[in-house]
Amino acid sequence: MKKQIITSLIGILIAFLIGLIILKLQNYPALESYKQLLNYSLFSRFSLFSTLNKAAPLILTGLSAAIAFGSGAVNLGQVGQFLIGAISVTVAGLFLNLPPVIMLPTLILIALLAGALYAGIAAFLKLKFGMDEFITTLMLNFIAQFFTLYLITGPLLDKKMFSPMTEAINRSAWFPNFSGLDFSFILALIILVVIYFIWNHTKMGYEWKVMGQNDLFARTGGVKINSNYLKVMLLSGALASLAGAMLIMGGVQHRFLKGIGANYGWDGVMVAVVANNGVIGTGLYALFFAMLQTGAMGMELETSVPLEFVLVLQAITVLFVVASRESAHLLFNRLKMYFKLRGIKSKEEGQADETTN
Amino acid sequence: MPKELIEIKNLVKIYPPETLAVNQVDLIIKEGEIHALIGENGAGKSTLMKVLYGMIPFNSGSIYLDNKKIDFKSPREAVQAGIGMVHQEFMLIHKYTIYENVILGVEPTAKFGLLKQKESKKRVQKIIDNYQLKLNPDDRIEDISVAARQKVEILKLLYRDVDILILDEPTAVLTPQEIEELFARLKSLKKAGKTIIFISHKLNEVLELADSVTVMRQGKKVATMTNEGLSKADLARAMVGRDVVFSIEKEAAQPADIICQIKDLSFIDNHKKKRLDKLNFTIRAGEIVGIAGVEGNGQFELVQVISGLIDNYQGEIIINNNSLKKLSILERRKLLAYVPQDRKNTGSAQALSLIENTIMTHHQINTRLTGKFDYLLNKKASRDLTREIIDDYQVLSSGPAAKISSLSGGNQQKLIVGREFAMATDFILLDNPTRGLDVGSIEFIQQQIIKSRDQGTAILLISADLDELFSLADRLVVIHQGRITAEKLPEATDKEEIGEYMLGARRDEIR
Amino acid sequence: MKLLIELIRSTMLAATPILLASLGGTYTYYANIFNIAMEGMMLIGAFFAVLGSYLSGSWLIGLLAGVGGGLLAALIFVFFAVYMKTDEFVTGIALNMFALGGTTYLLRQIFSVKGAFTSSKIIGIPSWEIPIIDQIPVLGKLLSGYPFIVYLALLLAILVEIHIYKTKFGLRLRATGEDDQTVDSVGINSDQIKSISIILSGVLSGLGGVFLSLGYVTLFAENMSNGRGWIALAVIILTRGRPLGLLMMSLLFGFFDGLGLTLQGTMIPSQITQMVPYLATLVALYFYSKEKRPKEEKPNESLAV
Repeated sequence: MKKQIITSLIGILIAFLIGLIILKLQNYPALESYKQLLNYSLFSRFSLFSTLNKAAPLILTGLSAAIAFGSGAVNLGQVGQFLIGAISVTVAGLFLNLPPVIMLPTLILIALLAGALYAGIAAFLKLKFGMDEFITTLMLNFIAQFFTLYLITGPLLDKKMFSPMTEAINRSAWFPNFSGLDFSFILALIILVVIYFIWNHTKMGYEWKVMGQNDLFARTGGVKINSNYLKVMLLSGALASLAGAMLIMGGVQHRFLKGIGANYGWDGVMVAVVANNGVIGTGLYALFFAMLQTGAMGMELETSVPLEFVLVLQAITVLFVVASRESAHLLFNRLKMYFKLRGIKSKEEGQADETTN
Repeated sequence: MPKELIEIKNLVKIYPPETLAVNQVDLIIKEGEIHALIGENGAGKSTLMKVLYGMIPFNSGSIYLDNKKIDFKSPREAVQAGIGMVHQEFMLIHKYTIYENVILGVEPTAKFGLLKQKESKKRVQKIIDNYQLKLNPDDRIEDISVAARQKVEILKLLYRDVDILILDEPTAVLTPQEIEELFARLKSLKKAGKTIIFISHKLNEVLELADSVTVMRQGKKVATMTNEGLSKADLARAMVGRDVVFSIEKEAAQPADIICQIKDLSFIDNHKKKRLDKLNFTIRAGEIVGIAGVEGNGQFELVQVISGLIDNYQGEIIINNNSLKKLSILERRKLLAYVPQDRKNTGSAQALSLIENTIMTHHQINTRLTGKFDYLLNKKASRDLTREIIDDYQVLSSGPAAKISSLSGGNQQKLIVGREFAMATDFILLDNPTRGLDVGSIEFIQQQIIKSRDQGTAILLISADLDELFSLADRLVVIHQGRITAEKLPEATDKEEIGEYMLGARRDEIR
Repeated sequence: MKLLIELIRSTMLAATPILLASLGGTYTYYANIFNIAMEGMMLIGAFFAVLGSYLSGSWLIGLLAGVGGGLLAALIFVFFAVYMKTDEFVTGIALNMFALGGTTYLLRQIFSVKGAFTSSKIIGIPSWEIPIIDQIPVLGKLLSGYPFIVYLALLLAILVEIHIYKTKFGLRLRATGEDDQTVDSVGINSDQIKSISIILSGVLSGLGGVFLSLGYVTLFAENMSNGRGWIALAVIILTRGRPLGLLMMSLLFGFFDGLGLTLQGTMIPSQITQMVPYLATLVALYFYSKEKRPKEEKPNESLAV
């Protein structure tokens, strides 16, 4: 655990150094940019809450990927499941109008179901026909993209607007907002705790973990691979879908815009990967990525570094954190070997000395 | 007096982090001799030879070939200098033909790197004829027998014109008859002027074949001796460092009721090939039935069919009056414990802790591991169970939370055996339970197997090691091409006879 | 008739980038490297092609820059996956995100635009009129006048087939994919073989990117590879990497892509017709899996993470 924190920090540090060099090469005030990045993401209540709000969907897409990868299911369909969640609560929010106490849980449930079903298609194709989920979920991403685009440019289009989007959903479906902190974040935290519990304290979570490491061992030990796989896919899809719902029910827009939440799906995958599919780690890296993305706007404002810079920074971070995790291990082993060799040699010399004396 | 061909001086090899595999070894190999390198598993024989072959780098010391200092950076350099090696795990591309495997790495090419096959194919054929290897260069590796694969490995070296052949445990996978053929071949190679280094831990073979013998123990060289007047006991003492008992002590079996019954068991694989053909045998409480056979003659399928990894078989497997047909793996695991052959891929999840590796299957069957609700895992009980197995099975580890990959192979296997024996089922399926382990672990595990038998468990033991079968089994069933060719009592037969049945040269009418 | 010719022409055009990327990816497929970075390699190739062409006013420089971009992406992949032993899947994901973020960033940084950059200063890949065939009425329309990369891609399909199946490198490449330890044991450096295969995949995917931004259209748009790298990967898996199979399968996808475009004039909304290639991938995968299934021993065998 301690080692993991250290290698993560080293990886992040290297990534930031490389970012620094990139900025310097392009004649931006590099350190100032970093300072503003932090300023606008952490150091005021507004910026901190913005970061937390941004983190909420990212925690969920991250968990979606972490649960799947950690159990050996290669669900890369977060993008599609996210959109399906968003569009389903949009539709429900437009056509249903119940008191908030019923409305909110109903919509959350709808989102969970919709995402589970959408991921369920891929799971079904795998279990029934042996089609690899890693391709099917990818293709379903594109299908979901075009399908939602069709809905918001056609049947659900808000004709008063100039670009494709729906009307705002009914007020009863809006998440409460606690002086800037969106309910989304609280919901994401609750779910994080639930997932942590499943992963670490239930038999099912144990079986998933073993499947993720070695599914032949799990199968030989009597684990029902197929039904567990199905459960993992459904849960994974539901989580990504709820992330999409958060973007509609939380925030300020409350409507489905073209290109909504474009990066959350893949960012979630990166968060899971960089956290090595750990639940807590996923939460922390989601916060970290959210911090970068929130701060990026401030950075662009103050030092005119295009905010897309943080996308590069994120990818570099992933590469170096993962690489340093692997190579730290190798380096550590090499050091140990070196000292052992020294030990043998000095003993040998000692013996040689004795004989000459 | 033949000249000294290879001289190794003060060689040290440490595998990161801290495994001292070869510890300041000196070794001299003379030209034209067959030099045996013996020692237990883990004594450092293979490592030393891999270093010589340039496969792995060494940490300190020096190696001389013909009095020239050498430091091979890759096997390519070793081969160029005339040193070749046949590894214990054959290094062959299964989908390639024999010919393609032979030329891989030394491909004859025309313009643009296009392969030029004609002449090289002729040369391959010529070597096959010269040494009477009886191979067809166009056969695919996956289609030929284990013994033939070994011949391909030797062919590879001959094609490369090496003078020094290193063979790592070449007899481990062969029947007594095939071993004889191999030895004759090695002797003729020696006559042709080649130098042969022969790694083994089987003392009989060494005494039969070698001119000189070097004994290694725990990474150190114990001695080099000329093979004159040496006895098995001398070598064994040098190898283990103490007097060894050659057979494990056990009382006569007292078989009771039939626990497991195999009836007309057949299995046809997806390529429509009959892998198991009407097997019939029974295992009683308190006896060990051993399955002997050349690898690839149905053992793998038999294990998979019983453990449930394959479920479309014909015939019946009955344990404690339950037919296994239609039972899920989990339901089967209530009736049988199973120690798989492949420790790393089937028996454990290397990235997980001892606890997570120990509670597998127990977590569904052993009520002790259930928490407050049925779906919860009792973490304290999990740790306790792991601790108990660590203690009872003498598993050396830094504690239950350590990763299983941090353990030596022997300790991993002890944990796995402990986990399975702790299921307390009436039937245990053992698939090569001691393969590749150090002598201490082998002895310990074999004792546990006997102990379990004496407590009345019915045990099916599949092993590629005839010595193990003869020392453990109370009854031997020999299979060849998926069929039973003999059922014998070990005291009424010997290895040579079993070998003939294994090769299909003899066949009894069974029932 | 005119519609049919249009359909065939758009098939050829749509197939080319997929073919190029899948020819690249087939090298890593044979080396048993889980390479999912073709998408990113293409995107980087497309961006640098536009940048090179715009700055120099020469399509050749653009082409070289694009291929160089793919090469750069491949070198990053090699550094992490082969030499730092980072997980290939992780490297691929990160590289794709790096490509997406990096090109979007540079688009704003260099051209100060969001979304797409187009300019008359971007010089596209010239088309090639085949001398005699050009004159034949229908055949001329069918075969002549494509950007020359289209012809190059067809030629490459044959060359790659020969390279993988008839040469020393091919023998070693396939052996590396089967069992890299064995390859090392006969004195071949399998890491080197893997690196070369990744570099080839980068170069060819980069060329696919060049075609996208200088041949198919002459502009650069954010995320313009738009899943073609993923489809290329699907194509490789579906044909088990046989280059001539890749050619057929790419044409099939090109056809569906073209069909989508052709259908756009009709009643069906364009967003629905654009789904066609992705749906076609699912259908193809269905038939592939159905055929493969009985041979599979393990029912739940996923491509490793």
